[in-house]
Amino acid sequence: MLLQQILNGIMIGSVYALTAMGATLIYGILRILDIANAGAYVAGAYFGWFIYLKTGNLVLAFLFSMMITGLIGVLIHRFIYAPILSKPRILPIVPLVASVGLFTLTGDLARLIAGPGTKAYNVDFGVDVINIGKLTVVPAWILIIVLTALLFTVLWLVLNKTKLGLAWRATAEDADIAKAVGINTNSAMALSYILGYGFAAAAGIMVGILYNSITPALGEVPSYKMLSIIVLGGLGSPVGTVIAGLFIGMVETMLSAYNLTFIPKDSVAFIVLILVLLIKPSGLISKTNNI
Amino acid sequence: MLKIVDLEVAYGQMEVLKKINLEVKKGELVSVIGPNGAGKTTLIKTIMGLKDAKAGQIFIEGKEILGMPAWKRAEMGVGYVPEGRRVFGNLTVEENLRVGCYSLNDTKKIQQNIKKVYELFPRLEERKKQLARTMSGGEQQMLAIGRALVMEPRLLLIDEVSMGLMPIMVNLCFKIIKDLNDQGITVMIVEQNANKALKISHRGYVLETGNIVLEDTVEKLRNNDVVQKAYLGG
Ligand SMILES: Nc1ncnc2c1ncn2[C@@H]1O[C@H](COP(=O)(O)OP(=O)(O)OP(=O)(O)O)[C@@H](O)[C@H]1O
Ligand SMILES: [Mg+2]
Repeated sequence: MLLQQILNGIMIGSVYALTAMGATLIYGILRILDIANAGAYVAGAYFGWFIYLKTGNLVLAFLFSMMITGLIGVLIHRFIYAPILSKPRILPIVPLVASVGLFTLTGDLARLIAGPGTKAYNVDFGVDVINIGKLTVVPAWILIIVLTALLFTVLWLVLNKTKLGLAWRATAEDADIAKAVGINTNSAMALSYILGYGFAAAAGIMVGILYNSITPALGEVPSYKMLSIIVLGGLGSPVGTVIAGLFIGMVETMLSAYNLTFIPKDSVAFIVLILVLLIKPSGLISKTNNI
Repeated sequence: MLKIVDLEVAYGQMEVLKKINLEVKKGELVSVIGPNGAGKTTLIKTIMGLKDAKAGQIFIEGKEILGMPAWKRAEMGVGYVPEGRRVFGNLTVEENLRVGCYSLNDTKKIQQNIKKVYELFPRLEERKKQLARTMSGGEQQMLAIGRALVMEPRLLLIDEVSMGLMPIMVNLCFKIIKDLNDQGITVMIVEQNANKALKISHRGYVLETGNIVLEDTVEKLRNNDVVQKAYLGG
């Protein structure tokens, strides 16, 4: 049924958008591709799993996992990226390599600390499925869609209605001039990491709940799919990222729903990316239409 | 107010400023003129903290500022109107002005200062909800000046304010700069339009390929043969 598939597509797309948002926020300010954002997704999933295991409270799991992961992001920026980027005439490949290293490290740390096997992520919602007319909805889907909508609303409010958000947008557009008018651009960077890594952590928990399991390799597919989403979204545009994430989620869902599986599902993001870049190289949403 | 001692700046191996010495006293309006590529923009960026110096010292009100990040210099009262305006195109006019107030915390003061800019440039108030990138070049220049003024700078650095503007706008901009200086703001302007710049200034420096080759009061500079030939078209 079409409606069922649309709902499914929105749900998958929400997770994609949430995963990629951090990379977008970070690219927007620092102009680096932060693959380690997919590491935040893994770390967040594990923190959330642990907190839920100990407390049985999903709200606490989301809240603390997002906070811890966001703070780790700030520290990573402070002690790894900031020193690298402060070197004169640094090649963009250098922070990229650092971020790949960080990403690999996250997976390996998860393997070392929590063990290489799969961890069950059994969250009890009380009911298994909800039937609305012909629509079958799993409670986790509602959680994912509602929570993502909530987080993106918060992001929109922060970026558009607060002084820090104004500083973020100014810095994203012209970091030098932002500094020259008195903005401590480090605070805009910290905002990118807190929100970005926090969102990735939430996405990690959502995926754990959705598939009832997490493994240290959880971040591998998102690490590259995320890239295609942020490029599609016009590199650095939060709104573009939401649209691109939903778009990829929807296309993937439709293809597998209608048995067009001659294309492997995970390759869809890249086929779409190549097509869009051939037709509109600035991405689906160009930077000038930013937010 | 501003004192520069033996300043050396380079891009990689290329020396762009070679032992520059320059001073702008409190209340003065000083222009730095010179041909394309002389290093004028580099000089301003180094004062603002957007370009690192290789050697030398820069003092603002007696305080050595090299190594200080640009936003601290802005907080100290250094305002900057960059070459090519560089307004935040995806922000509205009003948002651009609010960004300019970033280092102020008093909401009432912020509103007052924005209002003052609107009084100076009524056009900006008419267009306050408009995205800056959709404004004309002249309007963007007003906005770039306004954005620097809202934080009540004591020293204003202005790079090539006349570039790409029609003559009536050029005159307006220079008149406003003169008025601001009369109201007590110390100003340093960097210009290719030497004629107009010298008209409103007290003193001038001539910068050529990274060296200050002349320094004098504007009366003397305007009567200097070399300056007349090279910069004043006479
Ligand atoms: N980012 C940069 N990297 C390398 N070289 C640069 C850079 N910016 C400027 N230069 C060089 O430094 C020299 C001085 O440039 P600068 O922009 O300061 O000159 P200017 O006097 O402002 O010129 P104009 O009148 O054209 O604005 C030029 O030779 C220029 O090519
Ligand atoms: Mg210049």
